[in-house]
Amino acid sequence: MSEQTATMDIGAVQIEMPEKSGTTRSSYGFRAALPQRIEIAIAVGCSILLLLAWEVSVRMGWLNSLFFPPPSVVLSRLWQMTAHEDLLYHAGVSTLRVWVAFGLSVALAVPIGIVMSGYRVVGAALEPVIDFIRYLPVPALVPLSIIWLGVGEETKIFLLWLGTFFQLVLLVADDAGRTPNEYIEIAYTVGAKPRQILADVCFRSMLPNMFDSFRITLGWCWTYLIIAEIVAADSGLGFVIWTARRYMHTADVMAGVVAIGIIGLVTDQILRRLHKRLFRYL
Amino acid sequence: MTEPYLFFHGITKSFGDTSVVAPFFDLKIEHNEFVVFLGPSGCGKTTLMRMAGGLETPTTGQILLNGELIGPPDRRRGMVFQSYSSFPWLTLAGNVAYGMRYRHDLSAEEKKKRCDHYLDMVGLGDFADFYPNRVSGGMRQRVAIARTLAAGSEVLLMDEPFGALDAQRREKLQAELRLIHRRDAKTVIFVTHDVEEAVFLADRIIVFSRRPARMLADLDVLSVLGPDRPISLRDEERFFRLRTEVLQMVRAAAGDDE
Repeated sequence: MSEQTATMDIGAVQIEMPEKSGTTRSSYGFRAALPQRIEIAIAVGCSILLLLAWEVSVRMGWLNSLFFPPPSVVLSRLWQMTAHEDLLYHAGVSTLRVWVAFGLSVALAVPIGIVMSGYRVVGAALEPVIDFIRYLPVPALVPLSIIWLGVGEETKIFLLWLGTFFQLVLLVADDAGRTPNEYIEIAYTVGAKPRQILADVCFRSMLPNMFDSFRITLGWCWTYLIIAEIVAADSGLGFVIWTARRYMHTADVMAGVVAIGIIGLVTDQILRRLHKRLFRYL
Repeated sequence: MTEPYLFFHGITKSFGDTSVVAPFFDLKIEHNEFVVFLGPSGCGKTTLMRMAGGLETPTTGQILLNGELIGPPDRRRGMVFQSYSSFPWLTLAGNVAYGMRYRHDLSAEEKKKRCDHYLDMVGLGDFADFYPNRVSGGMRQRVAIARTLAAGSEVLLMDEPFGALDAQRREKLQAELRLIHRRDAKTVIFVTHDVEEAVFLADRIIVFSRRPARMLADLDVLSVLGPDRPISLRDEERFFRLRTEVLQMVRAAAGDDE
């Protein structure tokens, strides 16, 4: 009797076997987990495939190389412009502009956002105005900012600031508002005063989320850069791209765009790493 | 007659038109008594406990601590929550020390000593430098208890503090909490909807009705189970009997819609 059940058990195990091999296959199914190695391989492979298709299409004459210079040419131009022309200088100027404008946004948005979330009176007063300005497209404000500030550095900084401050202040207010009530009540019941709670608890607790908000907003700053630098600039990546366009140097235009992409990607990765380092307790 | 230590007197509470605590709630709590507020979820027992902490104000009535009208929250009444009970950016020692952060009557050395003392008391001496994300949920709750003790709270207000723990951890922590209460006597108000937990922990159980909260029963557990509550108490006949009795009472209170 016991022998019989034992063989039955073995039988049951054997029956399960093919089902198990069936489940490994479904890693390509709906919502199935994909092994990380395969995921990376697919991601890299597809990108390369796309570039190859582009390269081949131009070489075969299916695409006009005047409008669609192949990736190989764009990359070699990028290298030349970096090594022998002054692309690095222009990239530096652009980066500086972005960081100055972003710094101004942060310096204003953090205190205002925190106060907006902490004191509903302030929030109620500012939210409609900020929400309105937030939806104004930055390019639409170019003429106004030229009237106000001329065509110098101020205008460019102002436009970048305009594009980020009003978004960031709401993000910061939201981050501040997400501090769990429990934290605040813990602080009250060990004898903290509102000001101390703000500094020791709210600010500390919102820091990781706020850091993420900074990272996202910094990305937007770069999207407004071109608009700002097209406005009568004589330096910066936007200027490089716009000048190349005038002479129909399509490869240079693309190289400029790629340069912005690379700077954005690298900054983002650095900030992500920094986030992991700073907030190891998460 | 002596004054009661903590005195809920003629309390009513409503949020807008919704009555949360039915008129008029009266309760006298003795010094160092372990009182459990037991009742269905959302019945208003937590609101009552929060009033004692100064985190809510009663619509009518008053609460007296040691004969004084209680005001806004201060460190005499410490809270232990079910979740978000410790700060993730501070180590366990940092969390306990936070309880004393705004005390100017202690020197840095005294604070350090008290911090170590209370960490040891809750059995976390070896984990002082760990961050909360590296320790179990039970340890995080113990840190919260140590923090309120270090702060010098005389009344511990505990809002289902073990509600998110698995059954084994919960039993262990309940026994430990009773031990801590024996060693470092405090007045405790412990809110729960778990009958077994209430019976195991309480000197006295206040059973509440569904919202708006009314007191249905005031049970003296201390005279039945005594002050010592080892885990083995759970296997004893007198524990079963009391639990069943309370359970039936709570079932009746919960009504028939569930």
